[in-house]
Amino acid sequence: MAEIIKCPVCGESNPANQEFCQHCQSRLQPGSGPLKGVDAPIKPGQIPTKKNTAELEPILPQWLRDARDSARNTEQQEGQQASQKPGQTQPASHTEDLLAGLRSQAADGDEDETPDWLASITGAAPKPKKSTSESSEVRWVELGDKADFAQEETAGDAETPSWLASLTPTGSQADEKDELTEWFRDADDSKPTEKAAETPAVDDIFSTSAADDTPDWLRRMAAEDDAKKAQPPSFDSSSNAFPPEASESPDWLRQIAADSPADELKDTPDWLRGMEDKNQSTDSAAFTGPASSEVEAFDPSSKDELPAWLNDQGESAAKPLQDTTPKWLKKEAEDSGTGELPAWLSGNEETIPLPAAQEEENLPAKDEDALAGLPDWLKAAAPQASIFEQPEEKTAAEAEPADASFDSPDWLNTFTTAETPAPEKETPFEVPPAFVEEAKGETTDELFTEMPDWLSNAMDLPASSSPTPITNTDAIAPGELPSWVQAMRPVDEPLPSLSSSFVSSDQTLESRGALAGLQGVLPAVPGYSPTSKPKPYSIRLQTSDEQLAHAELLEQILAAETAPVPIASFSTLRGSRGLRWFLFFMVFVVVIAALLLPAPIFSMPVGVPREVGGAVDVARAIPADGAVLVAVDYEASRVGEIEAAAAPFFDQMIFYSHPRLTFISTNETGAILAERFVSGPLAEHYKNSGFSYLNLGYLPGGQLGIHAFAQNPHIISPLDMSLQPAWASASLEGVSSLSQFAALVLITDNAESARVWIEQTESARGNIPFVVITSAQAAPMIQPYYDSQQVSGMVAGLYGGAVFEQNNAGRPGTARNYWDAYSLGMLLAMSLVLGGGLWNLALGLRDRASAREAK
Amino acid sequence: MTFSPDLIIGVISFIFTILIFSYLIGDNPLFRIAVYLFVGVSAGYVAAIAVWQVLIPRLGYPLWFGSLNEKIFAAVPLLGVLFIFMKASSRLSGVARMTMAFLVGAGAAVILAGAVIGTLIPQVEATINFFDLNAAASRNIGFMEAIGNGSIVLAGTIFSLVYFHFGASPKADGSMRRPKVIEIIAWVGRIFIGITLGAIFAGVYAAALTALIERISSLINFFKLFGNF
Repeated sequence: MAEIIKCPVCGESNPANQEFCQHCQSRLQPGSGPLKGVDAPIKPGQIPTKKNTAELEPILPQWLRDARDSARNTEQQEGQQASQKPGQTQPASHTEDLLAGLRSQAADGDEDETPDWLASITGAAPKPKKSTSESSEVRWVELGDKADFAQEETAGDAETPSWLASLTPTGSQADEKDELTEWFRDADDSKPTEKAAETPAVDDIFSTSAADDTPDWLRRMAAEDDAKKAQPPSFDSSSNAFPPEASESPDWLRQIAADSPADELKDTPDWLRGMEDKNQSTDSAAFTGPASSEVEAFDPSSKDELPAWLNDQGESAAKPLQDTTPKWLKKEAEDSGTGELPAWLSGNEETIPLPAAQEEENLPAKDEDALAGLPDWLKAAAPQASIFEQPEEKTAAEAEPADASFDSPDWLNTFTTAETPAPEKETPFEVPPAFVEEAKGETTDELFTEMPDWLSNAMDLPASSSPTPITNTDAIAPGELPSWVQAMRPVDEPLPSLSSSFVSSDQTLESRGALAGLQGVLPAVPGYSPTSKPKPYSIRLQTSDEQLAHAELLEQILAAETAPVPIASFSTLRGSRGLRWFLFFMVFVVVIAALLLPAPIFSMPVGVPREVGGAVDVARAIPADGAVLVAVDYEASRVGEIEAAAAPFFDQMIFYSHPRLTFISTNETGAILAERFVSGPLAEHYKNSGFSYLNLGYLPGGQLGIHAFAQNPHIISPLDMSLQPAWASASLEGVSSLSQFAALVLITDNAESARVWIEQTESARGNIPFVVITSAQAAPMIQPYYDSQQVSGMVAGLYGGAVFEQNNAGRPGTARNYWDAYSLGMLLAMSLVLGGGLWNLALGLRDRASAREAK
Repeated sequence: MTFSPDLIIGVISFIFTILIFSYLIGDNPLFRIAVYLFVGVSAGYVAAIAVWQVLIPRLGYPLWFGSLNEKIFAAVPLLGVLFIFMKASSRLSGVARMTMAFLVGAGAAVILAGAVIGTLIPQVEATINFFDLNAAASRNIGFMEAIGNGSIVLAGTIFSLVYFHFGASPKADGSMRRPKVIEIIAWVGRIFIGITLGAIFAGVYAAALTALIERISSLINFFKLFGNF
């Protein structure tokens, strides 16, 4: 089934493969899409193929078809003429060309740069043209057949826009008149009066066929034209001028005319005299009052040299009742203000005979009025605007001789017919363009074929129609005017600020989508909406059994990876607080009971560990009165254990050697703990023995301080704890380096502190014995240094102190006091650990048995 | 009626001992009071030690009473102190980097050198010397004891290191397991590690038990002193 699409313009159905509509020839596909088939665009370098466009003939506009037909006829006639004149060649006309009818017009346009209608208005001298008959034929060819004109006129009457129909300017509302209309109206008055003799046919047509559709102002123009025809020209023979009220010329021109009587005609500017000459010689034979040489220079015998249409004009000019002004330029509103008429138009005629007195009174004001009434765009278009802008120069030009006209512009020279009596330039309306009657034998229908359509419609004015005043209600809405008319309308008011017309007439605000809030968004083209529902497509994945199996396997793998694995967690100990209280109670009771027992329960350790034996050897090997450096680096919380372990060592050392002890500490509390140790456990033994010691105090810097002290002890710690020079005291007599001490004793509860002292004094201490008295918790870490023989001996905890006390000749010590409690506590701990292990084992066996039973 | 210092010290020691023991019932204000007092006293004491045993004898004395060389040497650490004080300003904090760089660099050098010379090399030699029978004989260590100790130390060192080897390869069932030999050695190494940790725990317990005994003994002594009073 072939798809059918609708034309977006006419709405008719067309096959989908069509590029253009069959009915209105509009493009069916979007404009942005490429042309297809024969309509595809020509690429660069491609030679265009010759196509037969005769099939497009029906779609051409009527006027173009008429022009083409006329062009064919003209070509045939020219071919016949060419055959009669072999020496004259004519360019071949391509009848199959679409724009063949316009080509001849373009050829004429090349010769005449100024449009005929503009030349007739401005008075500019057009270039010489061909013979009248030939040009008229060509123009008929261009604009269509004569027979088609009546049809077009009728059609044009039927299609007369309402704005033209309602456009009826009146004298009472002269201020509301359109300047363009006024200008054309004035131009209509300047039409030669000889047209009036032939206009009845036109008027009859307009009055009978299109009287209702004709604008009122055009009707009034026709009515006044008829009135002029009926009324004889009121020519004042005494003054050789028309009555002032009949003149549409500006006052300043009237003033000029008043100041230039017959005897003072020599003071008249050349350009003005040229205008007079033209008026008197070509337009009206009535201007014969002031006999001048220029007027007499016009030789009627030269009539033979003039074109036929000009001869007709000349004949008609001999008639005093006929006005040479073109009909459409004939001022139909003679009673309207003269200021509305451009002075450069009205100056060609009717201005000279004005009374001088009136001109003197109104000259300045009239000049201003003429300038004020003249639209700006018309000033710019008319070269005569300089007349109004430079009146002083014009006055000065009056004193110049007549031959000074050679310095005047070309357009001014067109008025000086006496010096340049070219037959073609005697009148500005010599060329029969749109507003001049055509050659003889042609009807009035042919006249309007050369006019623009809008002007032809404007000429459709019934003679009997009465002017209708324009009211505000009849005013045309600007929006109803065609765009080209709006573009031509003069703008007197300044442009308003950016109005809505510049933006868009679409005031719709987008409320949804990405363009929400924007105004004037182009709506979607109705013709391009989808014509059918979209074809449904299944979104179900087409898979095979093998693919499904693989997918299932992948899901299993992923599920195994992401499946939570239960972690075997231990059950929390229920009643942990009770257990804690139970353990505390057990230990507390055991310790108190052991301490309160009057007799010892457990004997002291008999065996001597190797490290303790090394410490004993060092204690006994220290020479008498030897300097012993004691590093105190333990915390106050370990005082009980450390003092219990260190006291037997120092007791034996002091007992055997009476060394000079020097205390130093890398811990902030070490210095005060050393004082406590000396004044505590040691004092009990050597209270009256003259025991002396030196406390160097705190050694800052950590490992750096220890390393520096090992290298230069007297520099790093020059003062003792009481800020006295330490190295000059008796305790450090003869000692200046670390290796000069008899032994190095380190008391610490931290394995790291022991390691630092061992490492940093490795190279500085030499072969002096190094004994470490430490806590039981740090002993396992320091034991390797003893095994590596970096430490000479080690006393660890209460056990080491108890062993040491066994070698003190049976003197009681602190270790003995704590030993029973310590032993009971250790047994309790051992029993608890063992009991806990057995309990845990029993629970494990039970769970395993229950699990086995469950299986 | 006069109070001896031993009585005052005994009362204070008894009170603070009870406050610390109150932690048996959990965290409580009494325990916090004791802790805060210890922290405050310790901080004050450390500050006093820093002033009286560091700044005055090691910086003030050389600057005021020392020779020119001592003053120069004392000015260097003073300059370092001023640089570190620049940390208080965000703009001048970069100046302190010089001092900190010196401290870190010198400390790292000292620590590394001491660790290599004082621990790493001697411990490697000691592990090897366990099998040196002559050295053992010089220390009155018998052959079997030396071989046994050396073997235990060697096995404990190797097995403990193997335990921390966690390299594994996927098996056919998809599980990730270490090789069987590694698994066995690691299991033995775990025993050594357990024994070591047990020994450390025993030492910690022994130290704590000794501290407890000392505290209880002090309380008993206090009560004996209070009873005698």
